[in-house]
Amino acid sequence: MSDLLLTLASFTKPLEIGTTPASMLWMFPLLASIAIIYKTTKLRVLRWKIFFLETILLFAFLSGFMILAAAVLNLLVWMITS
Amino acid sequence: MDMRKKADHLLWLCTVALAAWVLPGAGHFLISERKRAVLIFLTITLTFAAGLWVGSIGVIDSVAGWAWYIAQIMVSPAAGIIDHITRSQKIVSFARPNDIGQIYTSVAGLLNLLCVINAVYLAYTGRGEQIGQEEKNV
Repeated sequence: MSDLLLTLASFTKPLEIGTTPASMLWMFPLLASIAIIYKTTKLRVLRWKIFFLETILLFAFLSGFMILAAAVLNLLVWMITS
Repeated sequence: MDMRKKADHLLWLCTVALAAWVLPGAGHFLISERKRAVLIFLTITLTFAAGLWVGSIGVIDSVAGWAWYIAQIMVSPAAGIIDHITRSQKIVSFARPNDIGQIYTSVAGLLNLLCVINAVYLAYTGRGEQIGQEEKNV
């Protein structure tokens, strides 16, 4: 019972996350959610093997795009400020 | 007779849409898309819960964060209950955890909107039962 109350209490206090580059890693679980839901709604017949393969591919593509966008934006900021 | 059929069909579509909004995945479950229903339920619920865990339930605030709330309420009417608790208990969230929490809960809401539209479309075209049957045969 106390475990359950502790778990519920943890939802009333935010986690401690600093404004650091590491906090950007929080985007990956979100990208995984987007990939799963997109493929769940788009595939005509849901076969597990194809579903997992296509979801992983989409997740990799989205992650690659986000990393590339971050690198380009960083480069742009570096060029402007230096 | 045709009018009655049309009315029944419209009622069915509304039921699917409402079920999909109240409980993520329930719309797909009603049209015999059981695998999709489970995937949608787990993914959207976990994304929403992760957002609440990171930023606390204070990320849902229909007054201070009304624009985010429009997306958050699409997860389920439960977001409205959480908003009521947040405001009555004066729970606040701030800084980076608030940003992450708001993004997670709002994206969960928008993904559920996509699922609601998909469930209604499958119910409208009658493809839901057809695909569900095809999946059983695989």
